[in-house]
Amino acid sequence: MGGRLTGTRHLLYVALRQDRKSIAPWIALISVLSASSVLVYDWVFPDPQTQQILQLNVTANPAMALIFGRPVDLTTADGFNAWRAGALGAFFSGLMAIFIVVRNSRAEEDSGRAELVASGVIGREARPAVAVAMAFIASVLLGVVSALVTIAFGGGVANSAMLSATFAASAMLFAGVGVIAAQIGSDARSANTIAVTVLGALFVVRGYIDSSGAPDWAVWLTPFGWLQETKPAVDNIWWPLALVFALAVALVAVGLALHARRDFGMGLVAPRPGPPRAGAVGNLWGLALRLHRSALVSWMVGFAVLGLLLGFLANTVTDVIAENPGIAQVLASGAVSQEDLVAEFLLTMIRILGIYAAVHGVQIVMRLYAEEMEYRADPLLGGAVSRSAHLASHAVIAFLSTALGMVVAGSVMGWVADSTGDTIGFTDVVGQSIATIPAVWVLVGLALAVVGAHPSKRLAGWMGVVATFALTILGPMFNLDEWVLDISPLWHVPNVQATDPAWSGLAWLALVAVLFTTVGFVGYRRRDIG
Amino acid sequence: MESVIRVEKLVKSYGRFMALHGLDLDVARGEVHGFLGPNGAGKSTTIRVLLGLLKADAGHVEVLGGDPWRDVVALHRRLAYVPGEVSLWPGLTGGEAIDLLGNLRGGLDEARRAHLVERFELDTTKRGRQYSKGNKQKVALVAALSSNVELLVLDEPTSGLDPLMEMVFQEEIEAEKAKGRSVLLSSHILSEAEALADRVSIIRDGVVVETGTLDQLRHRTRTSIRATLEQAPETLTEFAFVDDARFDGTHFRGAVEAERVGEAMALLGRYGIAALTVSPASLEDLFLRHYGEGVPATASGGTTAGEPSPREHSDYVPPAVDGGPAHGGPERPHGRHSAAGEGA
Repeated sequence: MGGRLTGTRHLLYVALRQDRKSIAPWIALISVLSASSVLVYDWVFPDPQTQQILQLNVTANPAMALIFGRPVDLTTADGFNAWRAGALGAFFSGLMAIFIVVRNSRAEEDSGRAELVASGVIGREARPAVAVAMAFIASVLLGVVSALVTIAFGGGVANSAMLSATFAASAMLFAGVGVIAAQIGSDARSANTIAVTVLGALFVVRGYIDSSGAPDWAVWLTPFGWLQETKPAVDNIWWPLALVFALAVALVAVGLALHARRDFGMGLVAPRPGPPRAGAVGNLWGLALRLHRSALVSWMVGFAVLGLLLGFLANTVTDVIAENPGIAQVLASGAVSQEDLVAEFLLTMIRILGIYAAVHGVQIVMRLYAEEMEYRADPLLGGAVSRSAHLASHAVIAFLSTALGMVVAGSVMGWVADSTGDTIGFTDVVGQSIATIPAVWVLVGLALAVVGAHPSKRLAGWMGVVATFALTILGPMFNLDEWVLDISPLWHVPNVQATDPAWSGLAWLALVAVLFTTVGFVGYRRRDIG
Repeated sequence: MESVIRVEKLVKSYGRFMALHGLDLDVARGEVHGFLGPNGAGKSTTIRVLLGLLKADAGHVEVLGGDPWRDVVALHRRLAYVPGEVSLWPGLTGGEAIDLLGNLRGGLDEARRAHLVERFELDTTKRGRQYSKGNKQKVALVAALSSNVELLVLDEPTSGLDPLMEMVFQEEIEAEKAKGRSVLLSSHILSEAEALADRVSIIRDGVVVETGTLDQLRHRTRTSIRATLEQAPETLTEFAFVDDARFDGTHFRGAVEAERVGEAMALLGRYGIAALTVSPASLEDLFLRHYGEGVPATASGGTTAGEPSPREHSDYVPPAVDGGPAHGGPERPHGRHSAAGEGA
């Protein structure tokens, strides 16, 4: 290998050994996502009639297209899989690749380990090249494993291979985004934020395009759209993947070029001197606010943008529904009214907002633990600070910020929907958003409970969000029993537009949230730090 | 004498690994107490128990008359702590961090803050991520030393400081002591402890194996003697009480217990002393005596020797003891990256 990449092979070997435990769960998760839809399809939708109903239900609720993409053909197991796992799988593959690249380039620099490596016989581009190579290897592995597992569970060979290939391509693409972000950000955390924001923004734009009845060419506006254009299980067109791959390679090239222009341990923007004295940051609460400040700002922008998009979407729903002959038939039969469909769509969208808010809240709580792991809880708790106050400084931000986010998103969405059409009222949307807050707090509380009492089990905090998502958005489609759906806190949120909303649900949610939070606080007082 | 720290039979385990087994420690008010031992001996674990960051499994721990696990807030107003590994908030400036840490203890002495920032030549406008290890330590030191507290708990506070700053540190600690403050100074820099400490405790494998003033410790150990005599003695029998007595022509070397130095001098004097060096044991000798000779610290010491505490950053791998393994420690709790024992 040439001088600039000297040592890449050795470094790659070590890095792969170190990182395989972090990569494996992602590959498993995405493979299960794909295989599970094939597995359950024949079981839940055994005959053409139920399959038709599924197709109709999904088409009737554009909020589904927002998350999963346009349903093409849900009357076959592979077609269903391509819809259910396609966009989500590409999203998670991208997330995996970003984390791999940042963890192996930027985070290594932050920890000082990279300095040790850089002083060895190693080319300048070797470290970022290793990070990208790892992401690419993981991408290929992901594609192969996901395809094999899906086929093993009954997926068609060509169809499953096509779908899994889109996952791999997405991972490679976002490895490219990740390596650029790793050069721009001033540390691993900000690099992750930059890259994940790009990923999230592209995903949301894709969702809007898919659910708003936009013209066909608009699909090409995001790389997610390119992946969709492979039409897995329907046409299996391979060439759009070449486009994605070419873009991935170009992004990596840009990333490596930026790397060569950057000082070790610094971002592209040199840090400026700061204030010599602490102002607002001079106490526990000020510190917590400062630590979360940039995250809070970007999430609030996210809430507002999401509200805006959903608001615009809210009034297109009637058009989208009207275009579908099947739904028109159902409407004509009088089984459901158009208002019912709009209400259901609205509920789904606000549930999606709730899940988005929960991710934000759980992330804040997890940050508390990250601080502890980086030895930054020690000096604070070495001061005259009680454990409870320390936990509270983060918990209060998590609770308030998720609530504020729901209000912001609900208000923007309600305002846009109200002013652009006449089917949806401002107060209904805002009211429903506010009613969803206690359910979000249950998930934040769960994260507090595990981080406070048992941080080695902190994954449970994220599992809560994932389970809630699966149960709330997918559960009804799979005709799950009521008691299973009841596990999701969002399922207990009353519909404020109903004639007799089940307000008791809110009380139960609040109670569970308080219970979880108490467990967190009591546990945090009792456990060792670090 | 009143104690500011009293620890009796302290036991602390991380899972199956026992970091401290029956540690005793006593720090008197107004003294600088050196807490010596290599990384991995249990110094940081002890200190983290003293701060209420870790819960003791057994034993009695008292800090400033209170229980460090229960009376956290009240106690921490009266003490200041400099961690062994100072990790600053990457986005906060050093000045902000100093004020924050000071405020959390109930406020800083402004004049003292300014004085210390100047003495340590610290640029307080840099961000946490820009500081070197030594500068991070200075930030923590300025915050701790400019607080009005009774007790300073310093965990290897100077491991990143340059010799000039080390001097400044020693002067500032002397000043603290002059004000009547008590200091627990954990260190493996022996010259620093020798210069500052009134008393020292040497820790090994989670127990304190030796404690006392330097003089007391020296008294328990041997003084080495080198001499050039005018004539060589015919036999060595007279020198039986001298350890490792050796003659190389008229050059003599050997070591005696402290109370027999006079006896040795009298004996050597009979042969006419042309040149003489008598050196009492340095702290380094004391230290090496406990660590270099492979003596197990306790009956069970041999089996756990060399297992660094999960929280310590060890580059020190002690020699195998009694055939016991000189291997690295267990994984850190929660699967955190372990630097400990990677050299093994």
